[in-house]
Amino acid sequence: MVEPTVLVVDDSPTVRKIVQMTLQREHIRVITASDGLSALACVADEIPALILLDIQLPRMDGYHICQIIRKNLQFRQIPIIMLSGKDGLFDKMRGRLAGSTEYLTKPFDSVELIQTVKKHLVDWQSRMPVRNGEMRPRLRRRG
Amino acid sequence: MEPQDRIMDGDLQTLGLQSILKMLALSGKTGTLLVHSGPETLVISLRKGQLVALHEEGVPQPDLLGMLCLINRLDPPRAQALREASQGNLQIALALMVEQGWMTASEMQQRLEFAVTQSISHALRWVDGRFAFHRQMVTMESKMQPLDVDSVLLEALRQADEWEELGETSLTRTTVSRWLPEVSKDVRSLGLNQEHIDVLCLSNGEIPLQGMALVLMLPEARVARMMLRLLELRLVEVVDTSLEAELQQDLSNIIIMCQHTLAQQRQNNSPIQHLLGLINTLGQCINGLLIHHGTFAKSLRGRGQLPVIEIVRYLERRFSQPLQTLAKQQYPILETATFSNGQLDYSEIIGLDSLVKGEQLEEFYWEAVLGLAAFLRTVFTALLQDEVGNSHTGRQLNIVWKAFMTEVEQEIQQYQLYRAHQNVQQNRTRRTDALETGQNWNMRNEGNLQWSPETQRRLM
Repeated sequence: MVEPTVLVVDDSPTVRKIVQMTLQREHIRVITASDGLSALACVADEIPALILLDIQLPRMDGYHICQIIRKNLQFRQIPIIMLSGKDGLFDKMRGRLAGSTEYLTKPFDSVELIQTVKKHLVDWQSRMPVRNGEMRPRLRRRG
Repeated sequence: MEPQDRIMDGDLQTLGLQSILKMLALSGKTGTLLVHSGPETLVISLRKGQLVALHEEGVPQPDLLGMLCLINRLDPPRAQALREASQGNLQIALALMVEQGWMTASEMQQRLEFAVTQSISHALRWVDGRFAFHRQMVTMESKMQPLDVDSVLLEALRQADEWEELGETSLTRTTVSRWLPEVSKDVRSLGLNQEHIDVLCLSNGEIPLQGMALVLMLPEARVARMMLRLLELRLVEVVDTSLEAELQQDLSNIIIMCQHTLAQQRQNNSPIQHLLGLINTLGQCINGLLIHHGTFAKSLRGRGQLPVIEIVRYLERRFSQPLQTLAKQQYPILETATFSNGQLDYSEIIGLDSLVKGEQLEEFYWEAVLGLAAFLRTVFTALLQDEVGNSHTGRQLNIVWKAFMTEVEQEIQQYQLYRAHQNVQQNRTRRTDALETGQNWNMRNEGNLQWSPETQRRLM
């Protein structure tokens, strides 16, 4: 079975590593980015099945990244879970308006994280956009 | 599968799997036999009384490609390419290996045959359960040549008997073993044969006994014997995977909580508050780890509900000595921190602001930050070594921990830079009598502190 890929965008290396360790245990492939621009590059390169996005990021904040992804026809279906230390109603509303699918407040519990991610990974393969001319990696034939 | 296609069904107590298979083989039946016991299901496809495919449900399938890498039969880049190309289907992966010349066709057949025999051997030992035979064939991709049921049964029964001969043992087909980190000698000097060494290589804390048997094509009971020998020699230990998962989750939650506290205290805009924030973060982290260790320490595990006083005594016995050593040798301020109910009580350090002010308070707080950071490192190292050792889980947690400690150290360095900047400013003021003193702490946030790497290194 092919593992889904989750992109974790957070400026804290601790959060990135913890989320990576937690999700890998659940057989989910994890890629990471530490700032907004690298996150967008990762989305374009890897087309993740889900994005875990921190709000306060260097170079471009999480709301802005979320809006850019939602405006893109190829990536707009990707579920985005906001990860933030801000738990006010205003922050959650702002996240929702930017187009986030769900909002997780830091410090999050690892079980809660797994449950939320798995909930949004149901049928992830059917949502995945197909790139033009892309083929799955093949083994080189002998002879 | 439609109910009208069902030719027969019943429970395994009335008719055992061996008899069912023999009967179907003798009458040359074509169809699918489903055998259920607890959460496990065996799906066996028969064509004209011959076994053509078998599939196990309800048990995680071991990663054969990864295991072949561990015993040096396949290199990891090839394994990765196979995984991607086969989409996780073992039959396809093996067929691709044959196609690439990495495995012979006869070895593939042997491996597939062995996997079938192993599954049937396991199912032969089921006492409770149900079976049903359907006329319809389930579409199951199989690269295996059809097998004669009698010969499969013969080998499966022999393997099942080996388990019986093993007698009373705590090992099961799902047991996972792991190398002990203390082993440093050459294992060949212990008189182990190649099969023992292969089992040792596969003891990475992730592969169950059943998986080892599959990749080595050895009966599970024989692998169990080898594992027992390695346990006797103290080369491996048995791993409780569910406990380790729980332990990993608990530690992750503590680290996430502390990272959150650390991130919040970054907003403090005075050096004293910054130091106080660090003291609280470090203290909270130490106490979180102590609570965790009170649940997961090796010597406290598996003894049921323990009286709190026993846990407290254990924690204080384990960690008060390192705390005292740090206090005596490097950070005298830690003498004011004590253990109370299995927790580090550092309230006297926090309350120093009622006794001293200004620079002196800053000095005390600074020493406390360095002392608590050192103690935190000591606690985590001891805890991890005791709970999971140098296992896969242990190494993963160590990576996370290093990332967290890097963040803590960056915060400590921020203060060091501030102090160095203050010192330079004061010296310059003394020399020229012209410059103003009192650089703002907030300069750190404005990026005005630009130090060369060499200067930073000297300041450390």
